[in-house]
Formats: sequence, structure tokens, C-alpha cells
Amino acid sequence: MAIDLGSLIPVLKELALYVGMALVAVGVFCDLVGSIGLLRFPNFFVRLHAATVGTIGGAAYPLLGVALMALACDFLGDIKWFIATGSFLTSIIVVLTAPAGSHALARAAHRSGVPVEPKVCDLLEEDRGGRRVA
Amino acid sequence: MEVEWLVTVFIAVVFPFFLTSLSLYTARLVKGPTIPDMILAVDCISYDLALFMALLAIYFKSSFLIVGSISLALWAYALDLYAAKWMEGRELGD
Repeated sequence: MAIDLGSLIPVLKELALYVGMALVAVGVFCDLVGSIGLLRFPNFFVRLHAATVGTIGGAAYPLLGVALMALACDFLGDIKWFIATGSFLTSIIVVLTAPAGSHALARAAHRSGVPVEPKVCDLLEEDRGGRRVA
Repeated sequence: MEVEWLVTVFIAVVFPFFLTSLSLYTARLVKGPTIPDMILAVDCISYDLALFMALLAIYFKSSFLIVGSISLALWAYALDLYAAKWMEGRELGD
């Protein structure tokens, strides 16, 4: 039995639209959680944890969702390809650069002696001959 | 027409939540208290704005906004690296 591929395209478009919208909705939730965490958490290294939720969950996934949404939006005309490609590229860039940037920032903050209160455990400082915490 | 209406309404519903999280990030940027905290807040704002611009590109049916989105994501990374090097007291490339 031959499958008519042409009849699959509207179904795939509808699927892309709803999956894209779901990813953006999840992104909104992660963004709100990340921003509340960034505001409420006690010190820089814990805030870094919340910021990761805000960047990967709140920007990378929703950008993928925007790319899927754009692909399903025929009313955009030809620019839907530009928007989908751009969103997809931005999503890849965020996934690759956000962890690297956060790591560089955390390393620099630790080395430059940013105050950490409350401090439970600092094995890196112990390795460097610093005082033992807790 | 139905898809256009659905997408437009969805984006309009999502905007206030993004604006709320943007304002919370901005509060952290203003409060600090340390420089890494501020840079982290600027990072989050940049990534958020990149997404915001991608959504606006669909909302306004404009492909130009997506170029700004890519630049913002790259700029946040450059800021991270430059600030990290500055805090460690070294120049970029050392």
C-alpha cells in the first residue's frame, strides 16, 4: 500500500506548531523559575545554578520551539525559512556558549575571591591550601 | 487565518511572562551585589531578549529581527569571556 506523502505535510505542520508552542510554554515556565531563583538565592554560585535554568530551559528550548512554530506558519510566506533557520542557529549558539561562559565566569569569580555566604564546602580552596570549611 | 490567529494570541499571552522575568533579572542587575552577579543577570537578559526578538519576528512578520537575536546570543558569550579575563586580571589571549 503506497503512502501519500503529500497528505502527511499538513499533519506534520500541525504537529510542529503544537510542539513549538509547547516548547515556548515550557520555556516561559523555566524563565520565570530561573529569574525568581536568580533574585532569591543567597550567593553567586547558587545563583549560577538558577541562571542555567533560565538560559537553557528559558532560551534554548523555546528558540527551538520558535523555529518549529515558524515552519508551520504559512502566513509568513518565504520569511518563515529565515526565521526558522535563525532561531535554530541561535538555539545552537546558546546551547554551546552558555555553559562555557558560565564556567569561565564561575572560575574567575572563585579565583578573584568573590565572597560566598553561606559557604558549606569549598574543596577547590582546600586543594589550594586554604582553610577547611565546615 | 486560524493558524495566524492562534500564533498571534499565543505570543501575546506569553509576552507578559517574559516581561516579568526580564524585570526580575533587571532587579538582580541593579541589586548586584558583586560584579559576577551583574554579568550573570546581563547574560540572562541577553538570552531572554534573543528569544523575545525571535517571537517578535513571527509577530511582526519581519525577518530582520532574527539577525539581532543571533548577535545578542554571541554578544553575551563575548561579555562572559571578557569579564572573566578581566576579573582574573589578564587580557584576552593570554
